[in-house]
Amino acid sequence: MAGITFKNVVKTYDNGVTVIPDLNMEIKDKEFVVLVGPSGCGKSTTLRMIAGLEGISSGDLYIGDTRMNAVAPKDRDIAMVFQNYALYPHMTVYKNMAFALTLKKVPKDEIDRKVHEAAEILGLEEYLDRKPKALSGGQRQRVALGRAMVRNPSVFLLDEPLSNLDAKLRTEMRSQISKLHKQLETTFVYVTHDQTEAMTMGDRICVMKDGIIQQFDTPQKLYNEPCNLFVAGFIGSPQMNFADAVVEKTDQGYELVFGETRVPTQREELAPYVGRTVVLGIRPEHLRAGEEYIRGGNTLTAEVDLSEMMGSETYLYLNYAGSRFIAKLPGTVIAPAGSKVTLALDVDRIHVFDKETEKSILN
Amino acid sequence: MEKRTSYGRTILAYVVLIILAFLCLFFFYILIINATRNHAQIQQGFSFLPGKSFWVNLHNVMNDANIPVMSGIKNSLIVSGAAAILATYFSSLTAYGLYAYDFKLKRPAFIFIMLILVMPTQVSALGFVRLVTGMGMINTLWPLFLPSIAAPAVFYFMYSYMQSTLPLDLVEAARIDGSSEFRTFNRIVLPIMKPAIAVQAIFTFVTTWNNFFVPALIISDNSKKTMPILIAALRSADFMKFDMGKVYMIILIAILPIIIVYLILSRYIIAGVTLGGVKE
Repeated sequence: MAGITFKNVVKTYDNGVTVIPDLNMEIKDKEFVVLVGPSGCGKSTTLRMIAGLEGISSGDLYIGDTRMNAVAPKDRDIAMVFQNYALYPHMTVYKNMAFALTLKKVPKDEIDRKVHEAAEILGLEEYLDRKPKALSGGQRQRVALGRAMVRNPSVFLLDEPLSNLDAKLRTEMRSQISKLHKQLETTFVYVTHDQTEAMTMGDRICVMKDGIIQQFDTPQKLYNEPCNLFVAGFIGSPQMNFADAVVEKTDQGYELVFGETRVPTQREELAPYVGRTVVLGIRPEHLRAGEEYIRGGNTLTAEVDLSEMMGSETYLYLNYAGSRFIAKLPGTVIAPAGSKVTLALDVDRIHVFDKETEKSILN
Repeated sequence: MEKRTSYGRTILAYVVLIILAFLCLFFFYILIINATRNHAQIQQGFSFLPGKSFWVNLHNVMNDANIPVMSGIKNSLIVSGAAAILATYFSSLTAYGLYAYDFKLKRPAFIFIMLILVMPTQVSALGFVRLVTGMGMINTLWPLFLPSIAAPAVFYFMYSYMQSTLPLDLVEAARIDGSSEFRTFNRIVLPIMKPAIAVQAIFTFVTTWNNFFVPALIISDNSKKTMPILIAALRSADFMKFDMGKVYMIILIAILPIIIVYLILSRYIIAGVTLGGVKE
């Protein structure tokens, strides 16, 4: 069992491209950390550096108290699950899972016990004699998990393990991996570009962009208090709505003005921005249809561009004041395309960002 | 209408295939038929029906002191077998080295190997014979198979095959599992390469088996001669004793091992051995 620490880690490839400029991160022991970000953000590179599959250009990487920069992958006491499973195609499921233990010269009966134990947890017992090609995608992914499990590693690394599965299976495997984490009580580092996976599985989420950590916090914090425009736009589905608004001083405090809308707020952080344009963010679920949310001029009235019925909820797509808005309303709201709707911005749930630095002003 | 076109296509395909098969197999048929006829019969011209001299021809071939057929086959088997093993193993190893590792001289190394590929054997033959003589290996079987360790054509085939079927994730997974680099190659990479190895083993075996040029330069002892030299020796034998029946018989004997090797290895040539290991 061990935590992972990055100290000023830099990764520059031979061709001179720096993918990780300066990474400082501390993953606690037994924590489930999700690295999330768009493709090319350096999340996989970070994971591969932990695994030892990618060298570190400068800085220090610690697993537990040991500096790992020059330690070979096999000596790091880690296990990794690959996006494309990476099962040995010529070996049976049993042999795939037993391979690492065989190399360690673990006694045969112990290997047998461990493999069967893992197979039982993952529901793979009846497939032990099969080769990977005779398995479905979900089963292969479970074998890959099992192969990592039997080694009882101190760090479990998962590189987009669910991205090749269909939606239903993904949901199923998501909960299975979360369960596994609780069962194994090991440090998990999980890479994904899917923010739903990140939000549902991680104890903490590290949002990355261009090799730089944008925010490293709990899912709730990321959702409620995104530190910048990027995180605000990345976390949450559908994405947060953004509109350029001008800050105006009023008797009660301040107002954020865009189009016909005037959103009142008393937040003193806005004082330096009076007269300037900021980016106002509001999550689709915080655009409300109920009248109880109307406070002053915090409404926007627009024609519905597209209406998506999802059953339990309805998504409305609107164009207003030069920005595109998505509203996530209860399924009971029926507003066909072409109809006019009036929605209130939940003033307690607005986000405001500096237009230049893109940093959050309120959090 | 559409059905008729496809029907016509099928017939055309069959006709073409039958012609091609005929072109390929007809010579084997002549060979087998002529091996059963005596010299006089063969000289009269071709016949579709077999003769009755099979055993006589076989007896003549086996009992010719000048042409040690059995030792010829043994030598050819040793040389071709060793060449096939060395060429496929070491070419796979080289290809793996260039495919799986990143190092500074990777590209120059690749180009260098490709340059050797276009170099004809004849160009370096004289130097090769001098080298072999200098190393005291002239008139031995060693120089006939040892150079197979460096087989650029086999290397290129293996390299292309790896590119299409060997995901590097497998190698990394093995590394994390604690496998040493050599073990990864032997236990993970080689089994995946089996179809390619089978194909190249057959090719190398056949080419080495048929090779006349190099053995003719190196071997002078009758007991160390390989089959092509023996066949050539038979053809250039005394005109008065020349027996075509014997020539056909010895050629028939010479191709049998190749057919057997092909039958053994062909079952490994199955497509998609990695199917399922990695999802594309």
